[in-house]
Amino acid sequence: MSAITSIEQLGKYREQVAASAKTDLPTVMVCFGTGCQANGARPVAEAFSKVIAEQGLKLDVNIGIKTTGCHGYCENGPLVALKPQGILYLKVKPEDVAEIVEKTIKGGQVVERLIYKDKTTEQTIAQYQEIPFYKYQHRIALRNIGAIDPTNIDDYILAGGYAGLAKALKMEPDAIISEVERSGLRGRGGGGFPTGTKWRSCVAVGSDTRYVICNGDEGDPGAFMDRSVMEGDPHAVIEGMIIGAIAVGAHKGYIYVRDEYPLAVKNLRTAIAAAHDKGLLGENILGSGFAFDLKISRGGGAFVCGESSALMRSVEGNVGEPRAKYIRSVEKGLYDEPTVLNNVETWANVPEIMVKGADWYASLGTKGSKGTKVFSLVGKVNNTGLVEVPMGISVRELVEKIGGGILGGKKFKAVQTGGPSGGCIPERLSDLPVDFDSLTEAGSMMGSGGIIVMDEETCMVDVAKYFTNFLVGESCGKCTPCRDGLPRMLDILTGITEGKGKEEDIAALEELCEVISWGALCGLGTSAPNPVLSTIKYFRNEYDAHIKDKKCPAGVCKALITYSIDAEACTGCTLCAKKCPQSCISGERKKAHVIDASKCIKCGVCKDVCNFNAVRIA
Amino acid sequence: MEKVSVIIDGKTVEAVKDQCVLDVARENGIYIPSLCYNPEVKSSGGACRVCLVEAHQGGRMRLVTSCNYPVRKGLEIKTDTPFVHKIRKGVLELLMARVPDSDVIAAMAAKEGLTETRFRKDEGELNRYKCISCALCTNVCAEVVGVSAISMEDRGADKKPATPYHKPSDVCIGCGACVYVCPTGAITMKEKGDVRRIWAKDFKMICCSVCSTPYIPEAQVDWIVKTTGKDRSFFDKCPDHR
Amino acid sequence: MIDVSKVDEIINRYDKSEESLLAILQDFQREFYYVPEEGMRRLSEVMTVPQSKIYAMGTFYKALSLTPRGKHTVKVCTGTACHLKGATQILETLERELKVKRNSTTADGEYTIECVNCVGACAMAPVTVVDEDYYGQTRASKVMDVVKKYK
Repeated sequence: MSAITSIEQLGKYREQVAASAKTDLPTVMVCFGTGCQANGARPVAEAFSKVIAEQGLKLDVNIGIKTTGCHGYCENGPLVALKPQGILYLKVKPEDVAEIVEKTIKGGQVVERLIYKDKTTEQTIAQYQEIPFYKYQHRIALRNIGAIDPTNIDDYILAGGYAGLAKALKMEPDAIISEVERSGLRGRGGGGFPTGTKWRSCVAVGSDTRYVICNGDEGDPGAFMDRSVMEGDPHAVIEGMIIGAIAVGAHKGYIYVRDEYPLAVKNLRTAIAAAHDKGLLGENILGSGFAFDLKISRGGGAFVCGESSALMRSVEGNVGEPRAKYIRSVEKGLYDEPTVLNNVETWANVPEIMVKGADWYASLGTKGSKGTKVFSLVGKVNNTGLVEVPMGISVRELVEKIGGGILGGKKFKAVQTGGPSGGCIPERLSDLPVDFDSLTEAGSMMGSGGIIVMDEETCMVDVAKYFTNFLVGESCGKCTPCRDGLPRMLDILTGITEGKGKEEDIAALEELCEVISWGALCGLGTSAPNPVLSTIKYFRNEYDAHIKDKKCPAGVCKALITYSIDAEACTGCTLCAKKCPQSCISGERKKAHVIDASKCIKCGVCKDVCNFNAVRIA
Repeated sequence: MEKVSVIIDGKTVEAVKDQCVLDVARENGIYIPSLCYNPEVKSSGGACRVCLVEAHQGGRMRLVTSCNYPVRKGLEIKTDTPFVHKIRKGVLELLMARVPDSDVIAAMAAKEGLTETRFRKDEGELNRYKCISCALCTNVCAEVVGVSAISMEDRGADKKPATPYHKPSDVCIGCGACVYVCPTGAITMKEKGDVRRIWAKDFKMICCSVCSTPYIPEAQVDWIVKTTGKDRSFFDKCPDHR
Repeated sequence: MIDVSKVDEIINRYDKSEESLLAILQDFQREFYYVPEEGMRRLSEVMTVPQSKIYAMGTFYKALSLTPRGKHTVKVCTGTACHLKGATQILETLERELKVKRNSTTADGEYTIECVNCVGACAMAPVTVVDEDYYGQTRASKVMDVVKKYK
């Protein structure tokens, strides 16, 4: 692999790859994201290779196979996409492969049972682009994911990769920053800070040494956008960072990846090595004389390391404690040098902004929030997965149009946005546009893009308790309000969910929230009250039910519910009695069973195994 | 040293640019409580949050820790507003819950009119033994003494200073700097005869050649001699008789 | 007893810079199923970094364990989506059936049950990871069957 030593050569190389790429070749694309791999993508890919060989079809002559990054529709994996037909097959098993090859690849026909079927209308759709989940998306950060092999740099280059870098190398650093400023790009990690402004402040600080960092810690539970980009299109991040490095004058960069994402680390490592080989990283990038190199830094299981100053301490080789002092990291960041830290998705947008221009990017989205955002739509919704849509789409559209509505036909209650730093938006406000400012005004925040959909069986007090408990375990312990305040907030919330709530509890919670939000040292602490305050604001009636009536309307809080069997629905199959760990279900075969409430530990196993929906929670 | 003019509690005062608000307040006779900050330990401060005050700058108000907020032109500080006292009281109420046995915290809280805490106290298995995890001890050991015998173990409410594996340290010199800086007296150091015991380790002390009082661990002298080249004989006499 | 040559081999994979400390500790974790005291001592020696600093890191980062973990690690994802879809029941089932508390190891040293804060496979909630294998849409009534496969 010889290095490409000029921008012109890059263009020529791209043409070379295109010429030998056989883009007309029918190609089978097997999703190899973490989700599909978990569901058995590897045996499916192997089955394809085997069947193709058996059929006498030759790889790269008659047919191609690619393993790609995450298509986002994870629940329905293993996902297999076919070019040029543009068909998407869902939940593919190795046993299905022979039929796909025969019927679709050779015969040009659709295998009906493997295509998308709407859960409500039963309508089937074979075309990838027509499936509601994909139809309304506008993929910029996710532009290549699912279409390229992330471990093959040629795929990225063929798709137009590194053209943004080529353009940036011909520009003055100041012009690059202006372009990013004009695009209106705001940080995609949660803060929403204008990216161009951040870069400009970094340049304003005099120093010989600067750094660019990618925050790939993605600690918000329920968010996996960054994982998909790092796994599925690592070069998009690398290219973005090189462009950023040129703009601010940095020669060293770090990609901080959370420990829980081993595939992302692997694919990033492969990509960095390949970029080196091609002269796209190193001492003399594309012969321009500009030097920049990237290093991967792995997290160690600490949510607080997603906070910029804590992340930098961690990169340096320390515990991840946020800095107590009032100095911005653009002035004094990594090793006390000016540092630009941006999120994975932010970096991934940069090459496209260079290629297509700031005006193009600014034409998408809303006045205050330009461009698109990748959301992870998860929870009690039919179509769960990753979607990228223009800013300004309403919560309702996300949940109903793209998400396909609530699972099991239940009632839509609320969405949680912004993870443990965010809040909930109740269903009655779901026509709100999703953008930075409107979500913040409503008492939540965009955060990294996790959208957790909740239904009538979600207890909002339990949700507040969940997030508070999460943060108690993740607090670094440095400052009093977070370290000692959050556990006491948890005490009160736990008491409420156990039927021990008192009238004064809400006031005590609100006071604690005020001390923590004003007094805490870092964003983890200052935003910790959000889930509690927003659930109190929008679901006060649920808190009151727990405190005054000792009831959990959603049927979640164990101390306040009873499990029973609906005698009319029960068929007496005895399955629940067999599985009950307390052996507290009795009944004869074919006769309605009964739960002994005095022994019941509410473990939920009976409800889980019952095939007749006969277990009731009240 | 560049001078700046700032307003503190309505009074215009002169300060050095980037000096911390707490030092400026003290120079001007204004009381702000503080626990985790020691001007001799640069890495200290910003942890306990009792020194929070209102900082008004550029049309915005924030609560800032006065021990490490730098004074700049155009800054107005308010240390005595109802809001400052409300939050300070809230922080102290949490500290009272964390270390109910600490007289220092009780006294500081009493100054704010707070005599008890509503919240669950850290007791029994969760007893913090007066430690407020301010890290002054570990900071002084690393920064000033230079041996880093102790560090903050774990995270969250269980964060506490400890020697590795709670075993006697290979590098501790028994100097007691950590005991000296601790704002709540949480670190135990005992002396019996010419032996000092701290962090589960015994240190033989040198006795003054004049008054025979054991006054400094040998290990500490070893360290000073090693790092400064000072003559060992300097330590034959205690400071009173040198 | 820990193979000291393995410790050195791991340390030598990386630059002799403090930036490598966490990665080395994690490699110890993967190799020995925990971070051994001898490893931390050796690291402190080779990098000339105080032992106390490495100890602080070892106790701060929850991916690391200072006590030996079980032969098999069962990670129950307790991220938001997984929590809403039944992670608590899965955890309770494991605790009950294996007679072990979360974030600790069974008496026979076979399994360590851990809560992990989001593995990023939220669309397949609830997720359980046994060793390196991911299981989506785990059911409390079926999780023991999965775990027993690993004995």
